[in-house]
Amino acid sequence: MLLLIAKRLTFMLFTMFVVSVILFVLLNTEFAGDPATRVLGQFASDHQKELWREEHGYNDPLVVRYGRWLGGFVTGDLGTSIRFKAPVSEILWPRLWNTAILGFWAFAIIIPVSLLFGILSGMREGSKLDRSLSVVGILTTSVPEFASAVFFAAIFVFGLQWLPGTSSMSDGFDWTQLVLPVMVLVVYDFGYVARMTRASMAEVMTSQYIRTAVLKGLPYKKVILGHALRNALIAPFTVIMLQINWLLSGVIVVEFYFAYKGFGALLLEASLNNDIALLEACAMIAVAVAVTTQMLADIGYTFLNPRIRFTK
Amino acid sequence: MHISKYRKTHHLRDPKRQHPGVAQMKDALAEGKCSRREFIRTAALLGVGATAAYNMASHITGERILPPMIGRAHGQKKGGTLRFGMVVQEMTDPATFDWVEKSVVSRHIAEFLVLTGPDNITRPYLASGWEASDDLKTWTFRLQKGVRWSNGDAFNADDVVFNFERWLDPGTGSSNFGLFSAMLRDSGRKDDKGAAIKEMVPGAVERLDDHTVRFNTNTGLLSFPENCYNYPTTIVHRDFEKQGKDLSKNPVGTGPYELAEFQVGRLAVLKKRPGVNWNGEPLLDEIRIIDLGQDAGAYLSAIASGQIDAMYELKLETASAAKQIPSINTQQIATHKTGVIRMNVNNPPFDDRRVRRAIQLCCDTGRQLEVAHQGVGITAEHHHVAKTHPEYFKLNPLKQNIREAKKLLAAAGYGPDNRLQVQCNIGNTDGNWEQDSVAVLKEDAAKAGIDITLNVMPAAKYWDEWDKAPFSITSWTHRPLGTMVLSLAYRAGVPWNETGYNNPAFDKALDEAEALLDVDARRAKMEKVEQILQDDAILVQPFFRGVFTATSPKVKNMQIHPTLYYRFHDVSVG
Amino acid sequence: MNAEPAAGNPPQPSRLAAAGQAVWRALASFGLLRESWVGMAGALIVLVWALVALFAPLLAPVDPNMPIAPFAKPGATVAIPVSADLSPLARYLAESQEYTHTFWLGADHLGRDILSRIIWGTRTVLFYAPLATLAAYTVGILMGVAAGYRGGLVDDVLSRIADIILSFPVLVLYIIIIAIIGASGVNIIIAITFASSPGIMRIVRGLVLDLRTRDYIFAAQTRGESHWYIMLVELLPNARGPLIVDACLRLGYVIITIGVLGFLGLGLPPPDPDWGGMVNETRQMALAFPHMTLFPCIAISSLILGFNLLADGLREISLRD
Repeated sequence: MLLLIAKRLTFMLFTMFVVSVILFVLLNTEFAGDPATRVLGQFASDHQKELWREEHGYNDPLVVRYGRWLGGFVTGDLGTSIRFKAPVSEILWPRLWNTAILGFWAFAIIIPVSLLFGILSGMREGSKLDRSLSVVGILTTSVPEFASAVFFAAIFVFGLQWLPGTSSMSDGFDWTQLVLPVMVLVVYDFGYVARMTRASMAEVMTSQYIRTAVLKGLPYKKVILGHALRNALIAPFTVIMLQINWLLSGVIVVEFYFAYKGFGALLLEASLNNDIALLEACAMIAVAVAVTTQMLADIGYTFLNPRIRFTK
Repeated sequence: MHISKYRKTHHLRDPKRQHPGVAQMKDALAEGKCSRREFIRTAALLGVGATAAYNMASHITGERILPPMIGRAHGQKKGGTLRFGMVVQEMTDPATFDWVEKSVVSRHIAEFLVLTGPDNITRPYLASGWEASDDLKTWTFRLQKGVRWSNGDAFNADDVVFNFERWLDPGTGSSNFGLFSAMLRDSGRKDDKGAAIKEMVPGAVERLDDHTVRFNTNTGLLSFPENCYNYPTTIVHRDFEKQGKDLSKNPVGTGPYELAEFQVGRLAVLKKRPGVNWNGEPLLDEIRIIDLGQDAGAYLSAIASGQIDAMYELKLETASAAKQIPSINTQQIATHKTGVIRMNVNNPPFDDRRVRRAIQLCCDTGRQLEVAHQGVGITAEHHHVAKTHPEYFKLNPLKQNIREAKKLLAAAGYGPDNRLQVQCNIGNTDGNWEQDSVAVLKEDAAKAGIDITLNVMPAAKYWDEWDKAPFSITSWTHRPLGTMVLSLAYRAGVPWNETGYNNPAFDKALDEAEALLDVDARRAKMEKVEQILQDDAILVQPFFRGVFTATSPKVKNMQIHPTLYYRFHDVSVG
Repeated sequence: MNAEPAAGNPPQPSRLAAAGQAVWRALASFGLLRESWVGMAGALIVLVWALVALFAPLLAPVDPNMPIAPFAKPGATVAIPVSADLSPLARYLAESQEYTHTFWLGADHLGRDILSRIIWGTRTVLFYAPLATLAAYTVGILMGVAAGYRGGLVDDVLSRIADIILSFPVLVLYIIIIAIIGASGVNIIIAITFASSPGIMRIVRGLVLDLRTRDYIFAAQTRGESHWYIMLVELLPNARGPLIVDACLRLGYVIITIGVLGFLGLGLPPPDPDWGGMVNETRQMALAFPHMTLFPCIAISSLILGFNLLADGLREISLRD
């Protein structure tokens, strides 16, 4: 187990390094534009821009600049955002926290709802519930987030006037502002998790030992709760862990549309403005989250799956 | 540069003296050669007070002309909070501001020498008045007495001198460097690329006494006072650099509000400072500026659901929807904001005038305005001077002419088998109408055998190459005078010349027009200027835009400003 | 390409027959769709949209980029003079000099007919999405087969690259790539290929690892066939079942991706209709003119639904086998 964690962490550091180098090189090509223009504005003179580049070390070789960035990153200095003209850490952490809140509530609904429906329909494959869940699941996952955001806003903000139209939370936390973004995420994602749970449950239900247990005359409830559930939840657990990773990019559209001040909107803004320091920091977080969730999924899988535990 | 405090020989001349230009303007108004608006504006720039200028105009024309509501209305309540939807950008150094939005926050903390109202008339503010020499090259500003900075220091001439010297130092990186280029000279040094480095003319800014400053310019600059309300000309404390060069961290100002909270990309909170009343006490206790991102739709949603009370700009794409909501008041103002689909003459095929002219001839300005800008604004004539500019001269209209365009294209070597193919950069820096305008041009140009490809890119990327791209649409802001923008954008070699245009005849004609104060004479000179620019066909300019803002009914006395320089001192809520 | 005569490996009848059989089997698997009503429904939706795309010039009443009547609501009619901007259908319906156009789905803010734009937009989406998917598959399959069959260093290097790319949120990857290299059809294909081929590679690699121990592979190896021949002709067709299912799902994702990029203003260049772009251009007016965004949203959702149902049906069938 410790070996697995150590391996994963090493891979994470390696990936972070590679990604940061690639991003750094990409963002310093001619395509990415001139940071001096970004900072001083489009109307600054060439001379002013040159002075700025010199002062901020942009005339140094790429390697030197990367080294400087890496040195800062390792010691916890994430650099300065050229978009916000403020230290990256000042901007990044509150944004990440906001996305965590959004993600928490989205999962707080997605997980119970999709597990419940997935298990119920997996228990009776081919039943009416199963068929309708299957269709609803496909239907909701087929509506892109931007479409459902538009639909929901039209209904709940302009039509019924029940909910606020934006979620900037500028007056402090307000749960009504969280409803629409969470709703969009839930609708888009629950179908997928539910279908995965259903498939896993259905597979377990057809397995030999469940059949035997039923044949032996054990009460159906006991078979389900005592035997089937535990095994059926292994696959959904992995899926849910991977959904955390999905969420990091899944929130971009939602946060953009509802003006929610989260990580996704920040990432979008950083990439549209080629904000090197900010983008690098966001990318490092994305990679860390991806690798960590993958690792947790693996560890959880080992714990949940008796077969793996016995063989190791 | 240090000017001795004992050098008090330059005393102001008779304060009752009137600039000779005012008399000229009076004659022009009496003879109907200039509009009332133009008269009032110019008289105010020449140092006549705004109220006096309005009175003069009333007197001459015999009609009672009232200034638009600048003060307060009856029944406005004191106190309360205004929630204003606008992006909250960094606010480090006002001198280097590149977006007007930044100044909307800072305008309530630190202030300007003058104040240009929604009526385009410039009034005294931190400067209690000014006087221009006959040749408009020497400007003497008297400063308001009894104004204190929020740190307790008294506001005086040192502050003004400090700011001007700072702007005119190329190392500061301020766009005021170009704005006041009449106070610069060649330093004799060159940068790495061999371009000359300019510097401030020694003695261009003189401190006459504690409350008097004089500015000396190389050429006559009628718009000098008006320039002092350009958004990066906020007057900061003389110790701004020593205080850390960051207004958002150390918000010292003369204004009636203090910065209570400031989070870039999220929120700015301004709270009224008690006892700041040298210019009257503002009504609002608190102004909350709420950042809802770059998306116009978010602002509409927010005002529709009562999350904000007013917004910076109601973008055209949301205006049609906003008008359908009874709980939203929309305001519209005609401006000289515009989008020019400009061609850079240093890049083929745009080095061929026939090609440029052909593209220009494809444009149907009326239809462009109707379709791409929903009819909000006035049509333009491809020379960047609007009908509403005071010096506008009416040329023979240049109408859409597909047949002529085809003929020109054929002469330039293009035909049905060899269609002209060009790509237009679009940044949608000011809204999606930019993309729509090029789309409409594309439709029309196709009829003449020109294929235009739309290359839409993020705004930031657009600005990276805006002045070098062969073909692109650039959004230009409002300027009260047509000559101001012509000087900035089309003179040979000026920094903002995005077309690579270099025509000595045009520069000369523009010089002649700018040197004249008499509007009628200036207008006559503008014929040549406009004609040259239109004939050289470096730009397709379909329209000048009207802009909107939206408020909720509880907001009282908020006026949209043509350049969106909001100032909430007389606004109230409830 | 070097036009060297293929002296070493002249095509043999038996191989052609094998390839033909593979194609036949693939076709037959579509026939199996009859057994799944879900799959049938999906196939039907996709087919309808494909026909719309194919006959767009005939079906669309007017030129999709022609401004006619800004803000026209659904059902509004307007008379337009007969010109080349009309479709053959419209010209056929026109009475002498004028054609009375009905905006069945309304017009957008520039007065362009939304129905015509959706119809033409079908071409855009059904051109770029399959092309991008195909490109991603080509790269992904080559990488996957190479990694799975060769193993060793090749596998290590390729898998590591895939891991790195996959550890990055997909949409973020798209946005960064497009923001840097610019938005155009080709660049969108490049971005999608780059971001999704590692996922395909993983699937293919897994399948190949499973298959390569089979007897017929061993037989081919003893016959002395080249590695690439074995990989592409012997291995690949046997892995097609799961790949077809995956491809249908992936097509749905790619359509969403193209839509999202359009929605974020990073999509295909205007003014040619692109569903995501149509939503982006008009969503701020959705409050007063919901038809402008609603119909493109329905169009894109239904096409994705089609692919998802098709994938589900195919999966159901493949599990039954």
